[in-house]
Amino acid sequence: MAEPKYWCITSGKGGVGKTCLAVNLAFALALQGRRVLLVDGDLGLANVDVLLGLEVRTTVRDILDLGADPDATLITVHPLLSVLPASSGVPEMANLGPDDQGLLQETVRAMATPFHYVILDTAAGLGPAVLWFNAIADLSLVVATPDPTALTDAYALIKVLAQSRQGNHFGIVLNCVQDEEEASQIFHTLNRATERFLGLRLNYLGAVPLDPAVKKAVRDQAPFLNSAPQSRAAQAVINLTDRLKELDLDRLESIKADDQGMKLQSLR
Amino acid sequence: MPPVVRPPVCSTEMELCPVLTELLALREECRRLKELAQTDSLTGLYNRRYLMKSLDQEMERTRRTGLPTSLIMLDLDHFKRLNDMYGHQFGDQVLSRVARILKNNVRKLDIPCRYGGEEFALVLPGTRLAQGMRLAMRLKEILAQSWEGPQGRPLQLTASFGVDTFTGKEDLTPETLLQKTDRWLFMAKARGRNTVCSPDSPQDDPGAGLTPEERRAFFFPTTSHNDRAGGSYG
Repeated sequence: MAEPKYWCITSGKGGVGKTCLAVNLAFALALQGRRVLLVDGDLGLANVDVLLGLEVRTTVRDILDLGADPDATLITVHPLLSVLPASSGVPEMANLGPDDQGLLQETVRAMATPFHYVILDTAAGLGPAVLWFNAIADLSLVVATPDPTALTDAYALIKVLAQSRQGNHFGIVLNCVQDEEEASQIFHTLNRATERFLGLRLNYLGAVPLDPAVKKAVRDQAPFLNSAPQSRAAQAVINLTDRLKELDLDRLESIKADDQGMKLQSLR
Repeated sequence: MPPVVRPPVCSTEMELCPVLTELLALREECRRLKELAQTDSLTGLYNRRYLMKSLDQEMERTRRTGLPTSLIMLDLDHFKRLNDMYGHQFGDQVLSRVARILKNNVRKLDIPCRYGGEEFALVLPGTRLAQGMRLAMRLKEILAQSWEGPQGRPLQLTASFGVDTFTGKEDLTPETLLQKTDRWLFMAKARGRNTVCSPDSPQDDPGAGLTPEERRAFFFPTTSHNDRAGGSYG
């Protein structure tokens, strides 16, 4: 069987909809018959479990500290979708040392074998765990909203990842947009900045419109893909999923194949 | 033939035997001297000599077994000020109490030592850096709470921590491991005290700072975003 693909959902700024997107993307893939592992990478303030209304017994922390059985830690939320929960309110988990990182990476790799896709939902900010999750992913999906602060933070994240040679490919997903036109305008703003200052071209993956169905689904602790499959947001996520599945990473703009002389080498 | 009755070694009764009494006294003296040689009289923790010896032993064990040895060093914050304010006797009481806290909160195999003055060291056999960090964080929390000065006045006492680990791959001696750990302790002091530093502590900003030019790129004149204030849901 082919190696699972690792997608890292990341943003820099908090509250732009990373976790919500990660959950719905995972569901979309599962509904289309793919086996998906959703990893809550927000090790300090996890909330994948909250969005899905899950009851978590053991977490990543128990695997690392107590040697808990990784497979017993997984929660099956759909026959094809499993969640690896993190632990909330444990600040030191967000600062994993090199040997804990190695252990976690081994654990995730071992767990991932039966899956087609591994979706890594990261924390906000530029902490070491965020950089590290991006480094192990094939593709970093950078989420931003039209809010200038969200764009600035997305840019800062891309800058740090590119300069520390972590992250392999960047794809941009815009959230809470009014329409495609606004999304396209925002993407170009971001892309202009990365081209100009970092010599880096970004890949536009799609946008999710502002939709009341999303807020309602979050309150109901259910993915909007299930609760409101006809909503604009759900349709957008399905389109995004289709595009991602078709994605040929080798043909994407990559920080490895950069023509502005930044000659970055990936860590992998 | 009647059995030969050997004459007793000592002619007196067991309890009165001067040789035996002397022997027992010597044994007790040896034990006392050994204890004196490896503990600190004020706190009852191991002393610096024993710290160096056990560090040497544990690092050798790491080389042989591959199990890492971690080292925590901690120094009480502004201890001199406290001594000046309440007197040395009170300072000594504080040191004893810190020692008790350390003893009560480490695992059976850990070796708590007084390094000197108000500085302490903990040798943690078979402990990875992350675990050592967590222990240091816990000790920091425990130390920072519930102190009382003379006459029940509340007292602020905290400590700064440095943590490092010997995994067997580095070229380190007990002295150089102490030095390395001491540098993290120094960094903790420099970062405002009451904190833990280690090789994992985030170093200075990884260059994330944006130039004013970069910042300006994202603030365009059309500011019609107010109506989206409730739009985010992450």
